[in-house]
Amino acid sequence: TDAYLYSQSSVCDAETIFALSSGHGRCGVAVVRVSGPASSMVLRNMAGLTQALPPPRTALLRRITDPKSKELLDRGLVLWFKGPHSFTGEDSAEFHIHGGPAVITAVLQALGSLEGVRPAEAGEFTRRAFHAGKLGLTEVEGLGDLIHAETEAQRRQALRQMDGELGRLYQDWSYRLKRCLAHVEAFIDFSEDELIEDGVLNQVDSSVRQLETEIERHLKDERRGERLRTGVQVVIAGATNAGKSSLLNTHRVPPSRGTTRRPLVEREGVRRARQRVEQADLTLVVVDSTQLPPDPQLVAAFLQQHLSTVLPSPEAGMTAASDKVLLVLNKSDLVPEEQRERTEGELRERPGLPPACFLSCSTSTGLEDFLTVLQSRVKTLCGDPLSGAPSLTQARHRAHLQQSVQALNQYHQYRDQDLALAAEGVRLALTHLGRITGRVGAEEILDIIFRDFCIGK
Amino acid sequence: MLAQKLHLLRHNVLSFVSSRTGSDFTRRQYDVIVVGGGHAGTEAAAAAARLGAETLLITQKIMTIGALSCNPSLGGVGKGQLVREVDALDGLCGRAGDAAGVHFSILNRSKGPAVWGPRAQLDRERYRQFIQSELLSTPRLTVLEGSVDELLVSQPNPEEPGHHRVTGIRLVDGSHPILSSSVVLTTGTFLSGSLFMGQTTSPGGRMGDAQSCAGLSYTLKETLGLRVGRLRTGTPPRIVKESVDLSLAQLQAPDKQPTPFSFLNTHTRCKPEEQLPCYLTHTTPGVERVVRESVHLNCHIQQDAKGPRYCPSIESRVLRFPGRRHQVWLEPEGLTSDLLYPQGLSMTMPPELQLRLLREIPALHRAEIRTPGYGVQYDFVCPTQLTPSLQVKSTQGLFLAGQINGTTGYEEAAAQGLWAGVNAGRTALSLPPMALSRTQSYIGVLIDDLVGRGVTEPYRMFTSRAEFRTYLRPDNADLRLTPRGFEEVGCVTLRRYKKAVSVRDGLQEALMALQSVALSSTRWREKLGNISLSENKSTTLNRKQCWTFTIEIYAVYRPHCEKQSREMERIRSEESLSLPSDMDYLSLPVSLSQEVREILDRVRPNTLGAATRLPGMTPAGIIHLLNYLKLFTHCKRRHA
Repeated sequence: TDAYLYSQSSVCDAETIFALSSGHGRCGVAVVRVSGPASSMVLRNMAGLTQALPPPRTALLRRITDPKSKELLDRGLVLWFKGPHSFTGEDSAEFHIHGGPAVITAVLQALGSLEGVRPAEAGEFTRRAFHAGKLGLTEVEGLGDLIHAETEAQRRQALRQMDGELGRLYQDWSYRLKRCLAHVEAFIDFSEDELIEDGVLNQVDSSVRQLETEIERHLKDERRGERLRTGVQVVIAGATNAGKSSLLNTHRVPPSRGTTRRPLVEREGVRRARQRVEQADLTLVVVDSTQLPPDPQLVAAFLQQHLSTVLPSPEAGMTAASDKVLLVLNKSDLVPEEQRERTEGELRERPGLPPACFLSCSTSTGLEDFLTVLQSRVKTLCGDPLSGAPSLTQARHRAHLQQSVQALNQYHQYRDQDLALAAEGVRLALTHLGRITGRVGAEEILDIIFRDFCIGK
Repeated sequence: MLAQKLHLLRHNVLSFVSSRTGSDFTRRQYDVIVVGGGHAGTEAAAAAARLGAETLLITQKIMTIGALSCNPSLGGVGKGQLVREVDALDGLCGRAGDAAGVHFSILNRSKGPAVWGPRAQLDRERYRQFIQSELLSTPRLTVLEGSVDELLVSQPNPEEPGHHRVTGIRLVDGSHPILSSSVVLTTGTFLSGSLFMGQTTSPGGRMGDAQSCAGLSYTLKETLGLRVGRLRTGTPPRIVKESVDLSLAQLQAPDKQPTPFSFLNTHTRCKPEEQLPCYLTHTTPGVERVVRESVHLNCHIQQDAKGPRYCPSIESRVLRFPGRRHQVWLEPEGLTSDLLYPQGLSMTMPPELQLRLLREIPALHRAEIRTPGYGVQYDFVCPTQLTPSLQVKSTQGLFLAGQINGTTGYEEAAAQGLWAGVNAGRTALSLPPMALSRTQSYIGVLIDDLVGRGVTEPYRMFTSRAEFRTYLRPDNADLRLTPRGFEEVGCVTLRRYKKAVSVRDGLQEALMALQSVALSSTRWREKLGNISLSENKSTTLNRKQCWTFTIEIYAVYRPHCEKQSREMERIRSEESLSLPSDMDYLSLPVSLSQEVREILDRVRPNTLGAATRLPGMTPAGIIHLLNYLKLFTHCKRRHA
């Protein structure tokens, strides 16, 4: 048979998969498992093992780096398991890394960027282990936690995300992709006998192109996960002598769990300063309190005016009300307490103005309140690191979205040569997207076909 | 009522002389009994006999064996793949199509060889003749005219799962029972069938034939406790060719060079120049008007039995998609037939309105109807009650195939019939049942869909149902199935096997030779020029004529099939893990949600693969099942 012929010419290896197998949420050490033929390659690339692999089942402390950018991600233990002496029976590797979501996400994303390596499906490790005859009866009882970690948590997390805006976005893509597939399939299965307009495929062409553009843009724009890895880009902006450096020096900020911060002081020219502000995730606008109008009622207008000189134009998407800006009213110790309190009252929840914090860098008065506000902002930007929700599934989503876009390429590639292969591209794209939004069966596609077309023969 | 005559067909209706003329009239026991002589029944009987089982085919009328009850055509997109696969397993319908075809075409020429759809318009008479003469010359096969009244069952074999065991059948004339440990039911639309035309209803499964199967219906529902559902279908009026103004319709020519269905044939019986054309015309607003005016006179469309969405009556097409032009194909019924078959005009309104409707179409403005269209409603057995070998789970030795399983179409029926016949034969010969994987064939997809998910409307094959469509191609059906059909299944003759093996070896040799030449793509282009499959409109599917073409198809799809091979492997390994049919899911001592338990209990999937595809099944549930299976088989082994 053909299958026989295929196996003559190529060795069909299983794909290499990875997953966080230590469960989600707060933990000191996280274990990321890799299984499949590329495991040794993964270990070499990520743990900088240029020479021999470590002896099997021996922990080794290594610097773990991103194979593409060579950026240091963490220091942690790596272990090598030569198949069949591993949980799955395949070549496997483990990374024991720090439990912060930033580190975990960074490692998962780095893994996903490697060729031939993909995030595991729910329960896939266990399934591989089963097929390899590796699940002994004694282990069955103990499996509960593992399965839970691999499946339930992942599912719940995915569900939580699917509720939100992102979920709606993915569902919308899935719906449109299903229609594309249904129309291609209708053209294949019925166009010889039915009135299916030739224009159907042209519509699919443009829908597929539109989807590709949107997913690609999303992949570029979606920096939330990356923020955790590279840290939040914070720009401190303000007039000369407002206290920018003092603020930076006061910044012995206890890091919000799992985030690293690299505050930047902007001392360059106004043009470059604005450019930096545009690229920043968060801008702290520092104002010298002593320069505020003494009449609290005029302060809002003054600050509004001040912000418009510091921040880039609203067209750049950066408005004073944007949640990317915090106002820091420095040198509060130099302002009479009564005036400060009245001004504070005046500025509280003022529409059109970002939150403002009075602060004295020299006496540290107000620092605590400021940090609370800052921390909540960072949390919003990164996703709540304690719940671990959006960022951890992010690597998985990214990988599937990327594969989805790649598969759509195949549609265009074969569109005019072989429609079966072109359709295969759309099917594959839907399979990958379906790993985020839920599996799509043949019946669902047929439902769309019979809804959209009158099939009569 | 038909005279229930017991008529052993050894000396025949077709003045065909069988070598076994005059053998025992009194035989009371067979290895396999097949009830029904349609597309499923004939394939089942022939397959069981090929396997080596002494087989009896019982049909109401010998003359209607191999009759095309509805459209005079075979194959198409998806269906053509089924015909090629049935042929690859040495079934009848491919060769019958080659003998009876009068208009051959390959659909989807411009869309890639994986989805090409070989199809032919048939001469009804020639098709019937071919099937009848094939059956009559099949060794170990006896044909009997009669009506089955009762299925005989007894206590099950305790070694095997099931609540009953088939022991034979009894005919309506009340004569002695005929015994058999394997029975295949292929009763089509005859299970509690009723015919509809206008406001009149009469019992029956096909116009002009006796009603039947009341006793069988009772046995299936009451004795065996099988769940049944009701489906409907219909057929168009047949039109007198001379009364049609064909100049007002668009001529559809066949392929210049007919491509045979069968891997054994190099050409068709019908010569290229003898082929007949089809004609295309369209409905008009007048057609819609007649449908609307006649709705109150039309019982069939007011019933709630489920009809198919893809081959609907003109009534439901017009009502669901109003204000549109619908296509009507005028197809020849045969070389000497004076009738035309209006594909797309299946209808159930009163005959006088049928005539009015037809005459609203310009080409049919003077049309005369020979026989009016009508609708059929019939019982089907919910196919989730079957195993992948098409045996009823609760009844040892009882197999079902064709419309009784909720499918529609000749090709779907033939495919199931063949596989049910194979397994009935194997059971009779004490061989274990066999399943076809959905990774290997459309037949596998068909059966897996049926037994795994059940049907809500008549099931028809589409290429979109096959996950591995680029591998399950019409050109490689023999390579996929014939060797296994011979080596493992036993339903393929040596002659066909040798042919398939020589093709396989030749192909492999050619590929090795080609692969040993390595050139850059530019050099290849210099040497070969630009080759594109789809541009070559005149290529045929026939491998003999075009080896290079087979290799070309193979080369185009190979990288893709290689990518899919992992997924195929996974599915196959999950399909190979069967779930015990008597598993008590509701109290299984594993951690499963109530919801999942109920799904499993209701559907009772045959394999882990089928369970995986169930809607509502969770990954965690699958893993728990896996673990349980392991435990289960371990315990069983210890007990053994």
